[in-house]
Amino acid sequence: MDCAIKSRSGEQALTDYCAGTLDARQAAAFETHLRECHECRRIVDAQREVWGALGQFTPPEVSPDFDARLYARIRSEEEVPAWRKGLRRLFQPAVPWTTWKPAVSLAGACMLLALGFLVRVPESRDLTPRMERVDLEQAEEALEDLEMLTPSSAAAAIAK
Amino acid sequence: MQAVAALERDAELMLRVRVGDDTSFALLLERHRNSVVHFCYRMVLNQAVAEELAQEVFLRVYRSRATYEPTAKFTTWLFRIATHLALNSIRDRRNEKGQESLDKEVLDGVERQVADRQPTVEHDLVYQTKLAEVREAIEALPGKQRAAVLMHKYDEMEYAQIAKTLDCSESAVKSLLFRAYESLRSRLAHMA
Repeated sequence: MDCAIKSRSGEQALTDYCAGTLDARQAAAFETHLRECHECRRIVDAQREVWGALGQFTPPEVSPDFDARLYARIRSEEEVPAWRKGLRRLFQPAVPWTTWKPAVSLAGACMLLALGFLVRVPESRDLTPRMERVDLEQAEEALEDLEMLTPSSAAAAIAK
Repeated sequence: MQAVAALERDAELMLRVRVGDDTSFALLLERHRNSVVHFCYRMVLNQAVAEELAQEVFLRVYRSRATYEPTAKFTTWLFRIATHLALNSIRDRRNEKGQESLDKEVLDGVERQVADRQPTVEHDLVYQTKLAEVREAIEALPGKQRAAVLMHKYDEMEYAQIAKTLDCSESAVKSLLFRAYESLRSRLAHMA
């Protein structure tokens, strides 16, 4: 049996032992460990006190009109228009939205990615020919400038 | 075996509620009213607020009857709604009220609970003091740790069910519980 102060499984064994949920074999193993480990014995004693103290915390009786009040609320709900019931179901679900957080985040990320592709794809189609066109024009201009600079072409140009 | 039968019974009753059988809803309410109200009470430490929250829990169950699918244990679903509402209530009340008024409420609640429990004045006083300390220790726990301890101690839920209710892993529940009990031990160890 692992020591409660040294391992996670030991911690769990201690909690289960004090809650009385360990099976007989595990409980016997834990008790053997307890005989050797002073620190675990100290924790078990403290945990038993906590368990006992929590046991004293008894809540008051439920009000006798609890059911009547609930049924009154249910009846008043039934008079609510269907569209409002629908909105309530959407924004106030029984199981909280927080549990859907990962799915909502994932869907949001996918939508952003898709939007990114939609915006980027037409732009990239346009860009390639324009770049080629610019490159060709630049090359032609450079060639003309070179021709202007060569002495023979410059003389011909003056003669004209 | 009995527990399995009880679970199947809950799901069966809820499926009947889905097709409009209000008697089955009354049976479900009868079976789980006390555990839900008591859980809410130990979470928020105020009887009126606890009953209000428990009513909202059952109202949400009734509202969702048409879409109910028995994919998980009925009590897991029920306590998941209760935990969510109680944690929200704790957060809202923390924002609304000062610590002073909360302390007053704690003492008021203790007086109300122990009226006929102990035969002598001395015992009554000791009991009140102990109970106030237990309540303060529970109140000092962070919301999720509090919910985990309450489900573990009073509703005897297994780690897996607590994990599903709190929407976290089983190992996270074990860690939550150990930290919570550690904190309770340091606060309540002198009460022997």
